[in-house]
Amino acid sequence: MRIVYCLLLGLLLTACAQTVSRVDPGQPIDLSGRWNDTDSRQVAEKMISELLNSPRYKEYAKELGKRPTIIVGLIRNRTSEHIDANAYIKKFEMAIFNSNIADLVESDTFRDKLREERAQQQDFADPATMAQWGKEVGANLMLFGEMTSETDVMNKQRVVNYITTLFLTDMESNKRVWYGQHEIKKYIRK
Amino acid sequence: MVRTTRNQEIHSQIITMHHRCIFTKLVALGTIILASGCATYYQANQSFNQDFERGNLESALATLQANTKEAKSKREFLYYVNNGLVLSMMSRYKESNAYLEKAFLFGEDYRMNYLNEAASYLTNPNVTTYRGEDHEHLMLLYYKAINYLKLGDTQAALVECRRLNIRLQQLSDRYKNENKFQRDAFIHTLMGLIYETDKDYNNAFIAYRNAATIYEEDYSRLFNISVPEQLKKDLVRMAWLNGFTSEYEFYKSKWNMPEGDFEMPPANQAEVIFFWHNGLAPVKAEWGINFLVDRRDNWVYFYNRELGINFPFSLEGYDQKEKDGLARLEVFRVAFPRYMERPLYFQEASIITNGAEQPLALLEDVNKIAFKSLQQRMHLELSKALIRVALKKVTEYQVKQEDKTLGSVLGVINAITEKADTRNWQTLPHSIYYTRVAVPAGQSKLTLTLKDGNRSTTHDFSYTLNKGQILFHTFTSLESRYPNYGFFDSDSYRD
Repeated sequence: MRIVYCLLLGLLLTACAQTVSRVDPGQPIDLSGRWNDTDSRQVAEKMISELLNSPRYKEYAKELGKRPTIIVGLIRNRTSEHIDANAYIKKFEMAIFNSNIADLVESDTFRDKLREERAQQQDFADPATMAQWGKEVGANLMLFGEMTSETDVMNKQRVVNYITTLFLTDMESNKRVWYGQHEIKKYIRK
Repeated sequence: MVRTTRNQEIHSQIITMHHRCIFTKLVALGTIILASGCATYYQANQSFNQDFERGNLESALATLQANTKEAKSKREFLYYVNNGLVLSMMSRYKESNAYLEKAFLFGEDYRMNYLNEAASYLTNPNVTTYRGEDHEHLMLLYYKAINYLKLGDTQAALVECRRLNIRLQQLSDRYKNENKFQRDAFIHTLMGLIYETDKDYNNAFIAYRNAATIYEEDYSRLFNISVPEQLKKDLVRMAWLNGFTSEYEFYKSKWNMPEGDFEMPPANQAEVIFFWHNGLAPVKAEWGINFLVDRRDNWVYFYNRELGINFPFSLEGYDQKEKDGLARLEVFRVAFPRYMERPLYFQEASIITNGAEQPLALLEDVNKIAFKSLQQRMHLELSKALIRVALKKVTEYQVKQEDKTLGSVLGVINAITEKADTRNWQTLPHSIYYTRVAVPAGQSKLTLTLKDGNRSTTHDFSYTLNKGQILFHTFTSLESRYPNYGFFDSDSYRD
């Protein structure tokens, strides 16, 4: 019978309860090797510091004679993973906003909502509080981005290199005013 | 002296009474198991299955819901998904999703009950909770996403899409062997369709490209399914819409696609994405595998020459009684589940609209995936089943040594309780097909033709759609042929 008892005991010993703990959001935790929050945070931090210290951008702002206004355009994801670029773009936007180096205007998704509401106000709001048409601020620069990844696989090993590039382009001249790039290379062994 | 004999008599009477008591209990237990336990999961739900297969959905649902105890049983997952599927077929999408959500949460929160797991080694695997096959957890989210799309709630469908993505990642992380089912092309295609409905063309492109890669690398090899023509068109169109020029050129020339084959439907048109659920998924039956036992030194070998299976067990550390118990085994039968295919009644289908006919392409062969999933963990399942039977036999032998009658009764009970786990989600379709049809905005009609050799059956549908609207339509044909065991490849279960 000992074999039976050993088996039962063995199974019981390996049983453990599920635990949940809160960790510091800045703490890097890598599980599968895919893109995760740590990568998004790294990209945001790198891009913010590159923009804040960019001589080309400072020169542009000086020539313009005022704080440039930025609108977020298209971020293209050419990787094989469904990555939500908003995770780092929102951090990037917030840093721009808080550092006062530029103004931000709403991008198309939210802008359309504002226009709908403004149209409603024309009919239903008190004229004294009604938002006026034609007062939107035109952006000077548009933010674009692209993410690519190169993967090399052999047996149970995988190397993935993620390249995230952001750039600011002048609305009138199409000239690129600023570039930021961050690479993250991962080596995963199954 | 007399006193001692008297004591011995009393002692032996107590033992006899004790044994009688155990004997009665064992016989009663055996009778209960005999009365309730011999049927497979399919047979135990005969009344529901009959109604469902005949398309009497109201009646099938009533049978299902009358048995509320199932929701708290070891089969709760199957109770939820069956309710979800039947309600979805009855167009009661919100109720369906309430059940499917419970099934999803069951999968999220499932934790192994080690006591039940241990008990299964002494009786049979049916005492453990049915946790659901990998593909069943994906399929339930497919139904859920489609339900939301039919309700017009794209954002909720996108939530299911993200959940599917996590499930797919878990699946690919679990298996390291590329001969295993570890990537689901159909689910990637579905994700692409959902993203496209949300006009998120970038994610749609990624999903379609992943799907095409999996059809080419895995599905063609494992299930004999090639990249559906519709998917090729969708992928190239998405590359174009995203401005991914190099990818656009690459896939267009790779698949030799004619110019104009992948254009967006004109702005004044609408679209129907038509899914056809053909036939029924396989059911599980019980299968007895005979093993011969060979003992050499401190090792016992269980082997079956026909299947080329050999399991060695070390006897190191076991006492002499246990070794003797194992050594006396010569041959024994292990109950093991095996799938029975319910072959398709209809072989193909097409849709006719405005005089043009287009075929429906095979996206997923649920039947083959089910067979594959069982085969790829057959080694593990067989070894578990072997330990189970060996344990029972050893106990039986040891009891026999002390009491022959009790040992024989235990032998009978062990034979009765030896039973395979025949549970699976049996209301799923055998195969899933799809196509996309551009229809004019406003009123439109299309005809679905199901073909069985030279005979065909038609179904007409009419829609009223807005400009640019994408409508998801599913059609289920439950007809199938008499079940058979399908093809079993004895080599393919290996890791």
